[in-house]
Amino acid sequence: MVPLDNYLVLSAIIFSIGVYGVLARRSAVLILMSVELMLNAVSLNFVAFAAYLDPNRVAGAIFAIFVITVAAAEVGLALAIVIRLFRNRATANVDEAASLKW
Amino acid sequence: MTFDERQGYIVLATLAAPLLAMTLLFFVPGSKKMAARYISLAFATIMLALSVYIFVAYQVHGGDIQMQLRWEWVQNVAFLGKDGISLHLGVDGISALMALLTGVVAFAGTLVAWKIDFRTKDFFILYWMLIGGVYGTFFSLDLFFFFFFYELAVVPLYMLIGIWGSTRKEYGAMKLTLMLVGGSALIWIGIFATFHQTGLGTFDLPTLWKAGADGTLTPEFQKVFFPFFVVGCGVLAALWPLHTWSPDGHMAAPTAVSMVHAGVLMKLGAFGIIRLGIQLMPAGASFWMPGLMVLGVIGAVYGATAALTQRDFKLISGYSSVSHMGYVLMGLATLNQIGVSGAVLQMFSHGVMTALVFLMIGALYDQAHTRDLKDFGGLGKVMPMWVIFYTIAGLANVGLPGLSGFTAEFHIFVGTFQTYPVFGALAIFAAALAAAYMLRMFSIVFFGPFNPRWSSLRDITPLETISGGLLIGAMLAMGIWWAPFLDRVGHSVMLLPGVTG
Amino acid sequence: MGAEQAWLLAAVPAGMFVVLALFGRLLPRKGDFLGVLAIGTAFVLFFFVLHDFLHVGESNWPVVRDIKWSDIGSFHLRMGIVVDQITIVMFAVITTVALMVNVFSIGYMKGEPRYWWFFAVLQLFAASMLMLVMADNLLLLYISWELVGVCSFLLIGFYWEKRSATEAAKKAFITTRVGDVGLLIGIILLYKATGTFNIREIIDHAKSGDIGSTYLFVSMCFVFLGAMGKSAQVPFHVWLPDAMEGPTPVSALIHAATMVVAGVYLTARMLPVFEVAHGTTLIITIVGLVTALLTGFMALAQTDIKKVLAYSTVGQLGFMFVALGCGRPDAAMFHLMTHAFFKALLFLGSGSVILGTHHNQEMGKLGGLWKKMPVTGTTFLVGSLALAGVVPLAGFWSKDEILAATQTWSGGWVTILLGFAAIMTAFYSTRLFIRTFLGKPLDQQVYDHTHESPAVMTLPLVFLAILAAVAGLVVFNGVGRALGFPGGITEFVFLEEPERYHIVWSLAGGSVVLAVVGIFFGAWMYWGGSLVRSTRAAEFQPRLYEMIQRKFYFDELYQGMIDRVVLGFSFVVSWFDRYVVNDTGVDGSAQMTGYSGFLLKHLQTGKVPNYAMGIALGVVALAAAGLVVRG
Repeated sequence: MVPLDNYLVLSAIIFSIGVYGVLARRSAVLILMSVELMLNAVSLNFVAFAAYLDPNRVAGAIFAIFVITVAAAEVGLALAIVIRLFRNRATANVDEAASLKW
Repeated sequence: MTFDERQGYIVLATLAAPLLAMTLLFFVPGSKKMAARYISLAFATIMLALSVYIFVAYQVHGGDIQMQLRWEWVQNVAFLGKDGISLHLGVDGISALMALLTGVVAFAGTLVAWKIDFRTKDFFILYWMLIGGVYGTFFSLDLFFFFFFYELAVVPLYMLIGIWGSTRKEYGAMKLTLMLVGGSALIWIGIFATFHQTGLGTFDLPTLWKAGADGTLTPEFQKVFFPFFVVGCGVLAALWPLHTWSPDGHMAAPTAVSMVHAGVLMKLGAFGIIRLGIQLMPAGASFWMPGLMVLGVIGAVYGATAALTQRDFKLISGYSSVSHMGYVLMGLATLNQIGVSGAVLQMFSHGVMTALVFLMIGALYDQAHTRDLKDFGGLGKVMPMWVIFYTIAGLANVGLPGLSGFTAEFHIFVGTFQTYPVFGALAIFAAALAAAYMLRMFSIVFFGPFNPRWSSLRDITPLETISGGLLIGAMLAMGIWWAPFLDRVGHSVMLLPGVTG
Repeated sequence: MGAEQAWLLAAVPAGMFVVLALFGRLLPRKGDFLGVLAIGTAFVLFFFVLHDFLHVGESNWPVVRDIKWSDIGSFHLRMGIVVDQITIVMFAVITTVALMVNVFSIGYMKGEPRYWWFFAVLQLFAASMLMLVMADNLLLLYISWELVGVCSFLLIGFYWEKRSATEAAKKAFITTRVGDVGLLIGIILLYKATGTFNIREIIDHAKSGDIGSTYLFVSMCFVFLGAMGKSAQVPFHVWLPDAMEGPTPVSALIHAATMVVAGVYLTARMLPVFEVAHGTTLIITIVGLVTALLTGFMALAQTDIKKVLAYSTVGQLGFMFVALGCGRPDAAMFHLMTHAFFKALLFLGSGSVILGTHHNQEMGKLGGLWKKMPVTGTTFLVGSLALAGVVPLAGFWSKDEILAATQTWSGGWVTILLGFAAIMTAFYSTRLFIRTFLGKPLDQQVYDHTHESPAVMTLPLVFLAILAAVAGLVVFNGVGRALGFPGGITEFVFLEEPERYHIVWSLAGGSVVLAVVGIFFGAWMYWGGSLVRSTRAAEFQPRLYEMIQRKFYFDELYQGMIDRVVLGFSFVVSWFDRYVVNDTGVDGSAQMTGYSGFLLKHLQTGKVPNYAMGIALGVVALAAAGLVVRG
């Protein structure tokens, strides 16, 4: 069996890529994609723990299904906002959507 | 309900009167100014009568706290235990005198506020809220309600000064309110600390006083939290160096508000130091009082010195108030019977005297629209009664025997000399400075050649005369035959913890 | 009505004050007759008190009566009266002079504004002064002390339309206030040491050595400061000459005969304590001596008749203090009495001159008035001779007693210096009289319109002149006993061992010589009213003369001190309060708060990635903190 650590490291790498994407990307869609990456990395983490540490190998998987559901709902909502934003400002650049400032 | 019920009801009535007036005025249409005035006058008369009754009926040989009344408010809920919060009202010798002060000054102020023409009803609503808060604080024997009424007294000031005021009113109102509320924040911390430390789950003051005396509030606790109460209440009492809201606040406030503010409200702070400081934390008090004495002396001398070169009447009075409140704080800091009694007498004396002074200043300013001394001269020619009243007030300020100022200051001096002779000497010297700044003002404004610019000034109105006469009467009463005052005050002062003979 | 009801002497005028103050304007003649009635009643009551006092006999002296005033804890205040020999002398002086002044004022103040108020305050003053001299405790004394001070203020500033009058009133009140600070400190210090305000109890405590000597010395010095202030001793003398702005009857009553002697009275009362506090009597003597000398000089150069009399008063008070310092309260009280009579006479006389010449009081405009004002002139002459100390007028006997008293100080230096002051006294009295009444009139206009004063004014002058002439004879034991007293005035007053009066011929002769020398010199200098010799004398030493004329620059010194030190300090404090405490401290903290808000608002960039970064960093920080806490 592949050691648990490998999965954890993999999930950490994917999570970091996701964090980088959220913080450093200008395009709203890309940010959402990075958020998805982060969520999936977390799911991977949960499933790995479930597979290796949980005798029933169930709890983590249930968490993963919850995460996928929430992610799906959230993406639907987020993309709707992005489309609205795009229609109003002709740009999906997040840096330019900064009106709620001092 | 417990205790001496009928008299307790009288205290409740005195507290309820302003609040009732306020409520009643809500229903009066804004255009009916005379109705607002007459309703206010009626209630002011009732309050004066009740206050006089409370003062006279207080038994010098009875128990300490008399005329009690208690209504349970909230108990046995969450962190509140038995007697958690109750409307516990009562009167001791000190608050009896303070009630008399409030009644007299509130009545005088009502007569003076007669000439307010802009939004009269709203003015009186806020005015009665203020007075209600004052009475509530004086009568309250429950720490929660004490603070509640304390805030109720401070908050209307913002609107009263900000709307009806004069010189730099927004600035004055804002600064005053923020500083006072800042002080209240400190008191609030102290209150919760005390509540938590006693672990009794009650805000009832007599119970908490017992806890303060028997060691539940440990000396270390008291030493840490006493300053919260002293500084928090001290802001309202013009404790140096937190006094600067007072000169600007006075300059900005309308006459009736100045009278109540300087006359009664500032005494609330000193009263808080007694109720929450000396009575609640005697160990903390005896530790910190030397410091308070120093601040008091500084205030007394500093205020008198600064008043010497001011050009605005209200600033002279404002600094004079800082000086006189310095005397009050000195008296409290002596922690001996003579000194503390003197301080309470001074609270009354200065209250009526300063109310009279602001009444006089207002009478002039409302006509002349300037308060610069150098603009005037020889006003005795056109305003003789005004000059007479103001001179009497000024002489009381100076501590002339026969008027209340001397009685109070004398007791404070004797008390101070027992332990701090040098400070006592400085305080007496500050009284000489008082003569200097008062007489300077007299000679520039009342006497000397007449400045013809003011030929059209008219003398004080009948209402102002009655108002002033009442205040002068109070000053003469305490000045000549002061035994009734001293007996009541002394009766309670002698029972204060930590106060020696 | 006995000595125990002596408080009525004060109560009657006090009641009349209230009546006149409230209703004076409405009464016929504005109530002036009521004023005379009240004082007259006090005057009559005095004789009842005196009779009863002499009747009960020496063993029952003093007569006391007190009531409880207030109580707190162990602080018991009683207020009461004490009638002893000093009180009796003061009663005599106060009631007599006050009555004369009230009568005189009916003529002098005729037509003046606020006529009714004048009489009202005179009543309040008389009541307060009487209460002062019968107070049995220092607190009541202090209360009366302040009250007479306020009456003085109100009366000096009576013509308040004049800036100079208001300033003079202010100066008087504040100068005496400074002294009063000392007095109150002294009183409270004595209370602290003895637990009582009662004068007799304090004297007992002091004599039995209960009070530490340094403490007692300091306390009594403070008390003496009050006496110095009220009695205008150097360096507090500056207010009295300015007080001449008040109406002349006021100068006669308050600033010659009664209020200013309050300091002498207080010192006399407390003399047993001063004597226990070693060193204070020397201080008292020196202060009195310096005052007598300096003011003697100052009187030489004044040209306003009232100012001459003012400086003379201060100097004569100095004489009284010297007597007290020598341990002779009887000599001091004796001189107090005679001085009250002849000085009041002189002041009222000058009032008569002022009214008669239509408000002229500068000697430069007077001269040769005797022919036009014979009664005033004659009585003024009697007063001047009494002041100079010519036998057998009253001033001679009392001044002689004081000179005799100075012999307690070894070396005779006090006697010599005081003798010199006596010569100056005679000199300036002569100068005053000659330049006003003799010689040629210096202003023909003024002279032509001069007239003698009405009887209501001249009768008091005559009465006082008679007293100035014969009052001194009470020093003889025979005269005293004939009047019902146990002996002469010195024997009567001296509280410890009676002083049997006997004439020391050498000293008495010396006093006569002093007076003669002074008068002779004065007459020579101003013979015939000519100013030739005096101008030459002034030009002889111009700097010295100017220094004397400018009153040794005391006023300039004080004004400079007030302007630079006191007012300067006040400006500093006001500046500090406004700019440091308020603008920097309070407004500053408010602005700081506002500024921090201004800075912090930049966090709200509106950019989502920034907020995301914030969340990320926050998570990292919390995780790190958690690891640290756990681990």
